[in-house]
Amino acid sequence: MTRVTSIPRRYLALVFPWLPIERLRTERPHLFVGRADTPIAFVEQVSGGIRLKALDREAVRAGLTAGLTLADARARVPELDVHPYDSHADHAWLERLADGCQRYTPSVALDPPDGLILDIAGCVHEFEGERRLAADLEDRLARRGLLVRHAFGDTPDVARALARFAGAPAPDERRAVKRLPVAALELDDDATTALSRAGLKTVGDVMARPLSTIAARFGEAAAMMIRRLDGEVKGPITPRRIVPKIGVERRFAEPIARTDYALEVLGELAAEAAETLAERHEGGRRWEARLFRADGLVQRLRIETGTPTRDVALLMRLFRERIDGLADPLDPGFGYDLIRLDIALAERLDASQLKLEGGESQKGEVVQLLDQLATRLGRTRVRRFAARDSHIPEQAELMLPASDPVPTAPWIPPELGEPPLRPIYLFDPPQPIESMMAEVPDGPPHRFRWRRTVHEVARAEGPERIAGEWWRREDIPTRDYFRIEDRKGRRFWIFRHGLYSELESPRWYLHGVFA
Amino acid sequence: MRGPTTTGFAELVAATNYSFLEGASHPSDIVGRAIELKLAGIGIADRNTVAGVVRAYDAFERAKKGLLGANLPPFDFKLVVGARLVFADGTPDIVAYPATRAGWGRLTRLLTLGNRRAEKGGCILGFDDLLMHLDEIMLIVMPETSARSVVALKGVELPKSNDPSLEATLATLRPKARRSVWLGVTMPHGGRDRRRQTRLARIAADARVPILATNDVRYAVADDRPLHDIVTCIREGSTIQRAGRQLGANGERHLKNPDEIAHLYRDRPHAIDETAKLLARIDFTLDDLKYEYPHEPVPAGWSPQSWLEHLAWQSAIDHYDGYVPDKLIASLRDEFALIEQCGYAYYFLTVHDVVRFARSVVPPILCQGRGSAANSVVCYVLGVTSVDPMKHDLLFSRFVSAERSEPPDIDIDFEHERREEVMQYIYRRYGRDRAAIAATVIHFRSRSTVREVGKALGFTEDVTQRLTSTVWGSFSNRFPERRFAETGFDVANPEIARLQDMVQRLLEFPRHLSQHVGGFVLTQGRLDEIVPIHNGAMEDRTFIEWDKDDIDCLGLMKVDILALGMLTCIRKSFDLMRDHGLGDHELKTIANDEHPDVYDMLCKGDSIGVFQVESRAQINMLPRLRPRKLYDLVVQVAIVRPGPIEGDMVHPYLRRRAKKELVVYPSPSPEHGPSDELEVLLGETYGVPLFQEQAMKLAIVAAKFTPDEANELRKSMATFRKVGGMNNFQAKLIGGMVARGYEAEFAERCFKQIEGFGSYGFPESHALSFARLVYVSSWIKCFHPAVFCCALLNSQPMGFYAPAQLVRDAVEHGVTVLPVDVNASMWDNSLSSPVRGGGSREAGWRGASANEPLVDALVTGCAIAAAPLPGRTFAAPPLHPPADGSPPRIGEDLRLGFRQVDGFREDWADTIVAACAVAPFASIEDLARRANLPQRAMNLLADADAFRSIAKERREALWDVRRTPPKQLALFAAADAPELAPEPDARLPAMPLSEAVAADYQTTRLSLKGHPMAFLRDRFAAEGILSSAQANATKDGRRAKVAGIVLVRQRPGKGNAIFVTIEDETGITNGLMWARDFEENRRAVMASRLMVLEGVIQRSEEGVTHLMTARVQDRSDMLRLLSEDHALDPPLARVDEVVRPVHTRSRDPRAVHPRDVRVLPKSRDFH
Repeated sequence: MTRVTSIPRRYLALVFPWLPIERLRTERPHLFVGRADTPIAFVEQVSGGIRLKALDREAVRAGLTAGLTLADARARVPELDVHPYDSHADHAWLERLADGCQRYTPSVALDPPDGLILDIAGCVHEFEGERRLAADLEDRLARRGLLVRHAFGDTPDVARALARFAGAPAPDERRAVKRLPVAALELDDDATTALSRAGLKTVGDVMARPLSTIAARFGEAAAMMIRRLDGEVKGPITPRRIVPKIGVERRFAEPIARTDYALEVLGELAAEAAETLAERHEGGRRWEARLFRADGLVQRLRIETGTPTRDVALLMRLFRERIDGLADPLDPGFGYDLIRLDIALAERLDASQLKLEGGESQKGEVVQLLDQLATRLGRTRVRRFAARDSHIPEQAELMLPASDPVPTAPWIPPELGEPPLRPIYLFDPPQPIESMMAEVPDGPPHRFRWRRTVHEVARAEGPERIAGEWWRREDIPTRDYFRIEDRKGRRFWIFRHGLYSELESPRWYLHGVFA
Repeated sequence: MRGPTTTGFAELVAATNYSFLEGASHPSDIVGRAIELKLAGIGIADRNTVAGVVRAYDAFERAKKGLLGANLPPFDFKLVVGARLVFADGTPDIVAYPATRAGWGRLTRLLTLGNRRAEKGGCILGFDDLLMHLDEIMLIVMPETSARSVVALKGVELPKSNDPSLEATLATLRPKARRSVWLGVTMPHGGRDRRRQTRLARIAADARVPILATNDVRYAVADDRPLHDIVTCIREGSTIQRAGRQLGANGERHLKNPDEIAHLYRDRPHAIDETAKLLARIDFTLDDLKYEYPHEPVPAGWSPQSWLEHLAWQSAIDHYDGYVPDKLIASLRDEFALIEQCGYAYYFLTVHDVVRFARSVVPPILCQGRGSAANSVVCYVLGVTSVDPMKHDLLFSRFVSAERSEPPDIDIDFEHERREEVMQYIYRRYGRDRAAIAATVIHFRSRSTVREVGKALGFTEDVTQRLTSTVWGSFSNRFPERRFAETGFDVANPEIARLQDMVQRLLEFPRHLSQHVGGFVLTQGRLDEIVPIHNGAMEDRTFIEWDKDDIDCLGLMKVDILALGMLTCIRKSFDLMRDHGLGDHELKTIANDEHPDVYDMLCKGDSIGVFQVESRAQINMLPRLRPRKLYDLVVQVAIVRPGPIEGDMVHPYLRRRAKKELVVYPSPSPEHGPSDELEVLLGETYGVPLFQEQAMKLAIVAAKFTPDEANELRKSMATFRKVGGMNNFQAKLIGGMVARGYEAEFAERCFKQIEGFGSYGFPESHALSFARLVYVSSWIKCFHPAVFCCALLNSQPMGFYAPAQLVRDAVEHGVTVLPVDVNASMWDNSLSSPVRGGGSREAGWRGASANEPLVDALVTGCAIAAAPLPGRTFAAPPLHPPADGSPPRIGEDLRLGFRQVDGFREDWADTIVAACAVAPFASIEDLARRANLPQRAMNLLADADAFRSIAKERREALWDVRRTPPKQLALFAAADAPELAPEPDARLPAMPLSEAVAADYQTTRLSLKGHPMAFLRDRFAAEGILSSAQANATKDGRRAKVAGIVLVRQRPGKGNAIFVTIEDETGITNGLMWARDFEENRRAVMASRLMVLEGVIQRSEEGVTHLMTARVQDRSDMLRLLSEDHALDPPLARVDEVVRPVHTRSRDPRAVHPRDVRVLPKSRDFH
């Protein structure tokens, strides 16, 4: 074994006490225009009601505390402004802060929900000392309206505890740690209370007792924590891994002039990218291939898939579709000297399970077909019907881009042996018709005129009465729908817009024709 | 098109809002609308229930008197009642109408069968069940089922059907119920109604049953469609935007007029004629429910009347030692005659039987009748009630009257912990098919309504929370516009307006049925042939579908078996006194004693813990009223009530009683009657009407109401039903009085008071029964404060105050209170048990002259106390001598029990006591080994500082118990080896007294070591802040600042004043803040645990001091000085209204435990 002289390590811990509100103020400043001192709380729905999760300074000043129910808080501070607590957004914000801190050190670890730990060993010289570094950091954040608390330490645990828990001032870090409250040991509530009931109020009080007595009462974890705060055990930090976007490229000394060959290379790049994706348990949804021609022209090929994928064959098929669909064919000219493939959007994709008899599930094939069609014809031009749960005929069905996942209501199965109640084709908007000799109060017309043709009603059935959605507007008239067959056997779906009791002379419309 | 049918149309399938979350109109609205449309009749059929039929019946009865809407019902209008049977096996719904009384019994038994299979409130029926109950029931088979999923009781199988198709159902039904089956055909405007009609007609023809026209009504008028949609959303847990096809496509399910029906059924007019045919087949009305009292209590060979008379004479002779006063004999004879005339003998005997049972068990259960029964001499001699009506000149006619055909109503209170025994006795004696508890209809209340309607309309929880959080308690059943405005929402905003409108309309809707707390309905025959019976939420409870009003309306008998905490407390006091040689007492012996010391105590307003007069308002009233005899207590109980206060009767009464004002009796003009007509009526109360009886009599005497009218008046106030006749009564009363020469202003005051009485009436007889308990509890408090406190603590939860306040009060009365200790305590608090073990470091909180162990504790406390509060030492010991300086009574030390330790369990306590009986515990290890307690129990004991007798301070103890893993002990014990290796001394710092106090509060919610404020006194003194004692000694009109721990905050009634009571080591201060100042101090008032009140001292002549508070400071952070990390959370009184505004139980009297409604009307005292 060789002896390694350990380099003295230094850590800087940062805590952003107002992270949720600072994030929101930065991201959505318009929410706060002209209401600088309205107290703000972030709330979370937990069992038993809505509770405050995070607060801004004004709210704290107003005497609110996290954990209070929203109702209680409102009773005290009626003007409280409430936003939903969004841990994902806050985490993303913390990531951004971590990005920013990489100007000081490449090794930045997240300390969620609101802290960072920087490994600053060897990074201080630029700033002539730790204090200057911290001042620089504080300055930069302050300029963006962000407040940070910081502390240095020889171990991440020490730095972190000092930044998070306020203790009495002390001349050095070792002593400062000892003056931290026992809460800094981060034991469970019961143990923390027990320690302070026993009169051990600070970390130092606990450290002064034999470790064995502590371990006997509060478990090994407590003893370990003390040793870590004592610097005896050095917990490492796990620096955050920056996940770069996936981009693969191939340069050619000799430009290649054959499209086939270029596509072959693209296939190899796709396989390479797919491998990286597989490691990350991801699949790509948007791919962009760029073919750099030696004369400087760049040709772009973009494809998109309905579900995340790493299937090279599929990708290549789509790329070929795209090339076939180009207005101008792909022209290598003097040849390509660089081909690059980027994945613009990737999503989680776990290894898919194969069916017992081999092969992936059928659903995939429809999805592939849809992708193929959408790639060829354009995303918005491949559509599907979606049922919606509504009595209003024109709202009961929607047409949506096939690739948009939208929850759909169940379709109502047609009744066996019954003719369809509604036609397949609906006019949008319904066509006004002139009705003649309609029976009051609820009969169909005997004749009606549509597009200058008079139709004699031979058979009619109805009315199907559909009342307006009163919660949208009070005065929406009720519709009475009739299925009509004229003397020539043509079938229509017409309605009277309004009951005679609602409107003086309700108008009639043709809403659709039956096949 | 065919003209109107000759026989007319009756709508026979109408659901009301008793088809919970399905129907959208009140039964009375359905009936009223049917009459208005001149239908031939209306059939009320709710989903598997008959809960709403009595309301419909009542509405019809009122309609006949012209009290429901503008129209009188047509001469031959018929109301038929039944139920819509919804089957769990897929069979189409069948609407069932009993044709006869026997048919009704069959229907209710069928429903009972279904109810008893289901969880509370559900009903599970199969088609086969119906087949067993077909006789004399008319059936309308509906084309489809409306079944939803149901939850069956454990072990109950859901019924299944072989073929639930309409054809099969009709085919099975027809031969079994000949000529009594119809097929109901609806015209829902679904697009192919007429084809559907034809198809159904064919099915009917095949099955040889007639078809019957119906609209399957869910609401009275077309405008109710939005409400119906909202109700549907609430039921489905959806929002109006998402509900989609769960809602009806149109709003056609309202009552339609005969012409419209004739038009819809123009192809088959006989379907309309069938409605009249069905109607003609039905003879049954709810009048036919002839009610018969149970016969049990009468021995063979006696008639009920003669047995009752025999019992009464016998007890009267016993009671008066053989010499029954003539007056009593005369009264008894009068009452007997009336009882015989009305046939109530069985009722009295039943009640007597229940009371007899309670007194016969060992140990006996204390009980006492209350309410109007106290007017009856028979009840008195039988021991049902305990107030002598002869003495107080109570009128039997208030209780039973021949003119009013209402049954008498007897309420009996039992010890709250033992009421269940009485209830189970009743079930045993009368059987579950003959005894059940009445229902309570749970209505939509403002809070829940806003929340549910808001959700249905798609508002976020945040918005509805904001709307509801402004309601302090959900006291009112109205949700006035002002409330909306207060929340900063614009009422003009259409969405908000819609919410408000819907909330308003839904507010009086029934939500579901629950069981009444103690109203038993007993019958001679099968109860389930009168009304269906449900399973209660509690095991072993069953309840019927009708509530108090329904029962009243139909003349059924009800006995209220109520629970009263104070009776438990009194019984426990008697037991303690007997066990400790303090005498053998009974309610009777004490109540007749009338000891002046007791009244002296009450006159000082010293009544914490005393029944009924312990609230802040009552305590303030005591020194002003200065009660000297039992009747004064009757007035005291009744006067701090909404009725007298809103009628402005309190001050005149006080002035007149104090002889500061001449007693004048308003009189009518001479031509209208004797000028002393009111003097006779109001003589006892100095011309001021205080009691319900007086107010009613006033209406009769001064405004010439008939007794019936007066009673109607009272009832119409009391119930929440839309009677609509209130204004008539107001005009009639005031008009009547003015016409007879009374001053309008006096008349208006009387009306206001009656109005107040309506909701929270307090009749004299009721107040009398309560006054006795006031006296008895005062007596115990006065002569045996330790016994009283001990019994109160052991009866918790009850009353107004938290244990800390009760203990403190006991100490002020000279009781020595000893802490919880493993070697001395039991589960219950107990009296003067010496320490069983050998320890000596007892620190009790003694009210007596300085006591060594305590001083010891204080000294150590002071010595160490410097740490948390640098630079100062603690002030004087936080205790004060008893008010009269008398020595403490021997044998009246109070030892706190383990029940005071939060989270401790009774079985742990029992193990400790059992092990300790063998030998006192010598060490913690000894305890752990012999009592074998779980770690949690050991931690709790250590935290509660319960090891002092084995020489362990809290800190040492908790350090030790945490190390002792009890599970390993058995092994070590066998080897008799020391359990754990010795350890270096942990050298724990001693706990400063202030921190010990804080820790005490955390674990036992009270501290015997001191009051938290004592440790902060110097700081506050430096700021010029007074103690409560100083403030209470300050001159009237002086400005003052007082600091203290918040005991209770209340904002009663109209909300124009806020009461805050704070406490420190010297006593309490009562702050009163006007609503206009409240807004500025809202945060401090609502959030503080320790507050400083600033204002002006106001002292009444009687010496009642208030701090008229203008400003409140939140100083809760000072509590942190006691102990940096023992967040001190001082306990609030049980009635504080702020702690959990959301969870505060409703004060809607229908939703609250009747103990709270009738005995401890929490904030209502302040009205």
